[in-house]
Amino acid sequence: MVDVLLSDAEKTFIIHGIQDNLRDDGRGCEDYRHMEIETDVVSSTSGSAKVRLANTEILVGVKAELGEPSSGKPDKGRLEFFVDCSANATPEFEGRGGEDLALEISNMLTRAYDCPKCLDLGKLCVIKGQQCWVLYVDILLLECGGNLFDAASVAVKAALYNTCIPTVTVSQDEGHVDIELSDDPFDVQHLDVTSAPCIVTLSKIGHSHVVDASQKEEACCLARLMMGVTEKGTVTALKKEGSGSLDPSSVEEMMETGKRVGQALNKSLMEVLCLEEQKGKKKEKTGFLR
Amino acid sequence: MPTDSRRIAGPESSTNPYSFCTEKPRHDLLKNGKRQDGRKENNLRPIFLKAGVVSQARGSAYIEQNETKVICAVYGPREVVRKEDFSMKGLLTCEFKFAIFSCRERRQHQQDIEEKDYSVQLLEALEPAVCLDKFPKAQMNIYVTVLQNDGSALAAAITCASVAMADSGIEMYDLVAGCAVRVAGKNLLMDPCNQEEYKPEDETGLTNSGSVTVGLMPSLQQVSAISSKGEIEFELVKQAVAKCVDVCTQLYPVLQQALVKSVSERQNEEG
Amino acid sequence: MYSSSKPAETAKISVRAARPLEYYRKFLEKDVRPDGRELGEFRPTILNIGCISTAEGSALVKLGNTTVMCGIKAEFATPKTEEPSNGYLVPNVELSPLCSPMFRPGPPGEQAQVLSHFVNEVLNQSCCVRKEDLCIKTGKLVWVLYCDILCLDYDGNAPDACILSLLAALKSTMLPAVKYNEETEKPETDSVKTEPLHILSNPVSSTFAIFDDHLLFVDPTVQEESLATGTVTIVTNDNDLCLVQKPGGSPVTADQMNTCFERAFSRSKEVLRLIDEILHSIER
Repeated sequence: MVDVLLSDAEKTFIIHGIQDNLRDDGRGCEDYRHMEIETDVVSSTSGSAKVRLANTEILVGVKAELGEPSSGKPDKGRLEFFVDCSANATPEFEGRGGEDLALEISNMLTRAYDCPKCLDLGKLCVIKGQQCWVLYVDILLLECGGNLFDAASVAVKAALYNTCIPTVTVSQDEGHVDIELSDDPFDVQHLDVTSAPCIVTLSKIGHSHVVDASQKEEACCLARLMMGVTEKGTVTALKKEGSGSLDPSSVEEMMETGKRVGQALNKSLMEVLCLEEQKGKKKEKTGFLR
Repeated sequence: MPTDSRRIAGPESSTNPYSFCTEKPRHDLLKNGKRQDGRKENNLRPIFLKAGVVSQARGSAYIEQNETKVICAVYGPREVVRKEDFSMKGLLTCEFKFAIFSCRERRQHQQDIEEKDYSVQLLEALEPAVCLDKFPKAQMNIYVTVLQNDGSALAAAITCASVAMADSGIEMYDLVAGCAVRVAGKNLLMDPCNQEEYKPEDETGLTNSGSVTVGLMPSLQQVSAISSKGEIEFELVKQAVAKCVDVCTQLYPVLQQALVKSVSERQNEEG
Repeated sequence: MYSSSKPAETAKISVRAARPLEYYRKFLEKDVRPDGRELGEFRPTILNIGCISTAEGSALVKLGNTTVMCGIKAEFATPKTEEPSNGYLVPNVELSPLCSPMFRPGPPGEQAQVLSHFVNEVLNQSCCVRKEDLCIKTGKLVWVLYCDILCLDYDGNAPDACILSLLAALKSTMLPAVKYNEETEKPETDSVKTEPLHILSNPVSSTFAIFDDHLLFVDPTVQEESLATGTVTIVTNDNDLCLVQKPGGSPVTADQMNTCFERAFSRSKEVLRLIDEILHSIER
């Protein structure tokens, strides 16, 4: 994680505040910070989204390419995550500094999406065992303001929602297979992301736990629990992170909160995305100008 | 793949012979309440655990859960080489590797993404148990190799590495015991073997299919590692975690015994 | 770590640590080594064959503390165009950081590379496995045997342990039965039936360390290796000589070489007897 330096007194202040359900920015323990989502921000991708969660800013681009399916799943498309920690976000990411964090984020996302019901990858199969769509999901960290995992998962879900895959027709004659791409730019397929998971990170601070920890709060926290939660409330991935340990009973409490918050997050995200789509081309584009 | 002049190179590509098997065996996870190897849902496989197996290491351990075989060695405290890594707390590093011949599919020489992921999880499972402030400015290196993987490799590695760490004589708050469970439908299969493990590619059609691994510090009753794969209903995750915690507590005497044995052996050698 | 209170014991340990060379010389004057072995004596050799069931063949060798595991994975590949009926044998030795503080993580170091080439050379020179035997369909499909040798505890004399584990693993290798379907041009693997690999000869390696430029002793430990002024490795192939490796170091007289050869051949008999015994006990 990206560290900020805090004195012991500052830490105590944050911890005591959280005990009384009052955080240093005025939120309650289960509240997220202000989040802005914009889809279709990079025209050269098949789908893209930009999420700003307070000071955390993440850009996700999805590129659809034709490739070979993996040998274990010949009738499914592939989903590949790649995280880039830009040195713009923090000087610590210079050189290979951000590699570990990048790997952790992409591993967690891979794990969260690695169940057959999250995303219908069967739709991405073109010719069984030979050709399928490969979705390269590139995640770019532009600014770090705490809670990167949640923001990244929201951005990924939004970008996948926005993704358009060109329709292809497969014609076969005498063992010769032809793949034809539709000429019509509006003849596209969309992905159904309703049951895709969002990651909720619960940080244990003092005796309580909070969602969406800011950078300062992350500095006070020794153990985090990350959960991939779907709209139905099922858990697709779990992970403890950090150098501390947790009581079995608080693991249970944290999971309860994670489920509740995760369901609400998924619901409001889908609402926002639907609204965005309805506005369509008419919507005002902010892009990177704020 | 780029050619590696430091290793003897084989042909450019080769394929696993078993992917050409004419008939693929299908297995039911449970038949009349019994698993394929005859165990009940709650039964674990027999565990063989031995500390002090690598003569050159500061501490080491070997664990066998039937066909799952894991060896771990601990070196250090050594000097921290990179200046950026300097810290007043000790540094712990962890390298998890599957031996090339350990799985049905041949593994690669370099660490792949799964192995890197396991390395991080193992590290985070052990960090809370080690008194890191006892060796400032130094590092301890943990190396884990899975010699054969027949399921629950991460859980076995957690147990093995914590015993190796204790065997090295480094001060610790507690040991860490690992346990895995496979969730399939409403069933919880403890300590799954390779065929029972959750693989995202085989579709069982069950709403609940996944696996949970937990690392527990038994005498402190603190969870130091938790990870899950696959889509599982919330209530079942809770049950699975609770069950793992139970089993880890039961494993504690096994870990203690292995350490006591290695200490008395060492005393016999010296005296 | 050493809590022994006897003064003589403490003195022995400190001499050993501070002046290892003197310590060794004192012992060698009496023709015995600090661990009680004579100069021509190998450490107790323990062999376990077929210990890894995910590999087609496997063996674990313990030479005193030195522990080496060899696992053989068989895969399909297309043969080289210049040798359409030859399979591949790909040996690699890994000295992982797990086995000794001398080794670092990352790509194989110098010693591991030298060992890999040594093992490869022995495999090629001894012809213990005929590459033609690994052919399934000429020009189309052959077996490739990846022989990965992993060191788990490095206490000296890796070459002997590596060759022994490799030979034992090859002898226990069972390849799945394969039919080549001419129509689909695809192989069909039988999931139950297996066939053993033919081993034509038995290469056995013996390593000698040269001490103080004139004394030769067999099967050096890691400390003996660091004190040695040179090594000689002799690989026998049943009754023939397969390979002699003497990478620099102190010169050896012809007489001394002859004693080494004698010892190497007698060692070969010992080792082969051991392998046979273990293989028989498994069959039963």
